[in-house]
Amino acid sequence: MMKQLFPIKHVMGYLLSLVLSAVALVVLIPDLSYNVKLTILLVSAAIQASIQLFLFMHIQEEKGTKSTLYINIIYALFVGLVTIFGTLLTMIWGYM
Amino acid sequence: MKVNHTLPLEYRTEENSNKILGFWIFLGAEIALFATLFAVYLTLWQRAGNGPTAAEIFEMKPVLAETFLLLTSSFTIGLAVHSMRLGLKKPTLVFYLITLLLGAGFLGIEIFEFYTYVHEGATLQTSAFLSSLFILLGTHGAHVTLGLLWGIAIMIQIKREGFNEYTANKSFIFSLYWHFLDVVWIFIFSFVYLKGLM
Repeated sequence: MMKQLFPIKHVMGYLLSLVLSAVALVVLIPDLSYNVKLTILLVSAAIQASIQLFLFMHIQEEKGTKSTLYINIIYALFVGLVTIFGTLLTMIWGYM
Repeated sequence: MKVNHTLPLEYRTEENSNKILGFWIFLGAEIALFATLFAVYLTLWQRAGNGPTAAEIFEMKPVLAETFLLLTSSFTIGLAVHSMRLGLKKPTLVFYLITLLLGAGFLGIEIFEFYTYVHEGATLQTSAFLSSLFILLGTHGAHVTLGLLWGIAIMIQIKREGFNEYTANKSFIFSLYWHFLDVVWIFIFSFVYLKGLM
């Protein structure tokens, strides 16, 4: 019964999320360089987001709408990243 | 009505399948919404003016607790959908209840955090940093609050009607919403709190 209620995929995904959150905490160590820290944050956040998307949200499960979902999410991410990095470029990096 | 029995209950009718697709498109719009808020925050977070800076007001302990609660709730809502697909009503409701309690715990800590900030003189009007911080965290918190009410409504419907095309579909869509809130929190955790303290 417990095995049935707690599928290994979900448990592993959950544990991996906790581990990645803990890994992200190493950026609080002062000795590391800024670029290393930022890379750690970006990579751990990206992996965690993917765990949610693929493991928990089952984005690839329905054959009929699978490609539409991917295009939609990729498009949304594109819009989001252009918004964030475009803003940083015009408001901060452009003046450095 | 075309019914495909090889799919989970929540996808089985064309209407249900379209509702799930529609919700994903809504989540795409939510990504754009949170991207604008992150863009504002990341532009203004060092503009603390006369108010406190990020490093001065952020505290890691409550943030870690919030992260743990929300990650766990995302896990339990995943388990709820898993039990739903096995047709187990009681475990589904239990997992739903745990998810909502964890969500309420998260919200409680966040409200206390806001209360502490304001008490220390760090209000919405203090600086550009705090305005953008409160708007970003507040928008996420408002989503969690809505999620709690929505989740309760779904629990009542599952309890009353059991699993059918309607309740299974609604319950699955709620799980997508809840996982999405966890994704947003991961980015807040990394790029607001950790980045602010590093």
